[in-house]
Amino acid sequence: MVVRQYKEELEYLEKKTPYKWEIKKGFQPNMKVEGVFYVNEVLEKLMLDELQNACRPGMIGGFLPGVKQIANVAALPGIVHKSIGLPDVHSGYGFAIGNMAAFDMDDPESIVSPGGVGFDINCGVRLLRTNLFEKDVQPVKEQLAQSMFDHIPVGVGSKGIIPMNANDLEEALEMGMDWSLREGYAWAEDKEHCEENGRMLNADSSKVSMRARKRGLPQLGTLGAGNHYAEIQIVDEVYDKWAAKKMGIENVGQVCVMIHSGSRGFGHQVATDALLEMEKAMKRDQIEVNDRQLACARINSNEGQNYLKSMSAAANFAWVNRSSMTFLARQAFAKQFKLTPDDLDMHVIYDVSHNIAKMEQHYVDGKLKKLLVHRKGSTRAFPPYHPLIPVDYQLTGQPVLIGGTMGTCSYVLTGTEQGMNETFGSTCHGAGRALSRAKSRRNIDYNDVLEKLQQQGIAIRVASPKLVMEEAPESYKNVTDVVNTCHKAGISKKTVKLRPIAVIKG
Amino acid sequence: MGDIKEEDWNLPPCKYEYLDHTADIQLHAWGDTLSEAFEQCANAMFHYMTEVDYIEMKESYDVEVEGHDMMSLLYNFLDELLFIFSAEPNYIARKVQITEFDKTAFKIKAKGFGEEFQLGKHPQGTEVKAITFSNMQIHENENKYIMKTAWKIKN
Repeated sequence: MVVRQYKEELEYLEKKTPYKWEIKKGFQPNMKVEGVFYVNEVLEKLMLDELQNACRPGMIGGFLPGVKQIANVAALPGIVHKSIGLPDVHSGYGFAIGNMAAFDMDDPESIVSPGGVGFDINCGVRLLRTNLFEKDVQPVKEQLAQSMFDHIPVGVGSKGIIPMNANDLEEALEMGMDWSLREGYAWAEDKEHCEENGRMLNADSSKVSMRARKRGLPQLGTLGAGNHYAEIQIVDEVYDKWAAKKMGIENVGQVCVMIHSGSRGFGHQVATDALLEMEKAMKRDQIEVNDRQLACARINSNEGQNYLKSMSAAANFAWVNRSSMTFLARQAFAKQFKLTPDDLDMHVIYDVSHNIAKMEQHYVDGKLKKLLVHRKGSTRAFPPYHPLIPVDYQLTGQPVLIGGTMGTCSYVLTGTEQGMNETFGSTCHGAGRALSRAKSRRNIDYNDVLEKLQQQGIAIRVASPKLVMEEAPESYKNVTDVVNTCHKAGISKKTVKLRPIAVIKG
Repeated sequence: MGDIKEEDWNLPPCKYEYLDHTADIQLHAWGDTLSEAFEQCANAMFHYMTEVDYIEMKESYDVEVEGHDMMSLLYNFLDELLFIFSAEPNYIARKVQITEFDKTAFKIKAKGFGEEFQLGKHPQGTEVKAITFSNMQIHENENKYIMKTAWKIKN
């Protein structure tokens, strides 16, 4: 890492518009393209404070600030366009969380990096609608929250309740949501409203280690812990009535269910396995990177291909996982209201992936190119008329689901043409942490958090008390700041705001 | 899994702390011997996943790991323990004791004292997704051993 004074560092950063900063080449060694990050005034301060902290003497060898990580990614072989930080960007493993980077697939030097996808492969958000309104749910809110908590296994050490054996897992890894559909856990329409139709075709379960399968098998159909949650939400504001209507959201007060989860231990193990394998490949192919955490392999190497195939299997795992929980949430609602999920119109509005690498076509300097787009803590946001988005959303643009944190709002955005050009159709994914977990545990009081939630009228069921502090809204950046920045910068458009009335967490 | 003898009931002192890191948890552990510092790292991980006082020492569990240097040995040691927790037998240890430590061949034989993780009995703590080499450090100072490792919690 280059060691410079904070003032010298600032010379490499330039505010291009009120919502966009550029990181010039030279900020970190070997930058092949420029970096960019989107922030408003509030988020800008967080971002620069983090950099200033890292510049203090004696901080050498500590964790890299997000800006530095964006710049390090800009130095990876084969990167095109720019290394982009979204408004919720914060320091992560190798790549910052909230980072998009695309690599030219026709360049033999181009790489794929597990750090650019994240440990929780295909972590994502799914939104279900209902035809219920707030007045139907408020009186039974506590019972409904309890019922969801009883139905969906959450937290450390919980096990899935959908019967699975090793053979089922094998098929689920290859088939993704087609498996859920065949087994009766998903509806045919669910698939249409899911990125990639809930199935990565290049998944190859034979590339997945035994360790990953063993960790994955008991955890399929579990929510997990950390920032994952299932929430009952109320439509709070509609910014674009027409687009909302296309999503089946008729009016303020309508009840929705949001599920935020990923590929559980399975994905973590796939990432761990790949990182170890790639360290060796880097030595062999003499790939130089600025940070050891940016372990990567050439896309066309054995290691690169193996990772893409096993990552796809993990992506399928995550879709099956979210589908299984959708099934359980539908059951919980059906039992409470004594109506079938069909009668309750519990359709999937959309399902996004915010930790994934995908092969996509984009224009680079006016030429159509095949790229491997890494989105880590970043959501795909394709504009209207894009061939890869469902028929129902052809006119509105792809719905983008932004999950808030415990007790805060969530948003539905839509993709824009400007986003397609500037960020290859990528936008933010959530709030993004501001405080460390250890600090949250020390400084935030358990009872304060619960009391505050209660005052807001939010029912909460959480498996781990410690998590309440770690996940308190104060530990995160303000999701409204994040979403407004994306909206004002034009990389996606606000459509609907949702507020939680019940939270189920690990 | 094996039996537990009376002398195994002694609990080690707590020689670890959790440090700040935005998305994850960084651990700082120390000990008078390298072996003790390794054990502390292992204890710290299990204690992060549940409340230590609820873990009963019912049966022991043996693990064996190897590495190609000290860092990879520490990584593999913690990774193996995370694995026995996450998959069958879902084992959680109140304490981990290293029985053999080969510092030249980088091999460890260790014994965990604990039981199978059970919902309802063990409060759910925070889930550790993976062990990383991120900012890993092992230092020896005047016969004190200090080490740092980071664990993935998010993303």
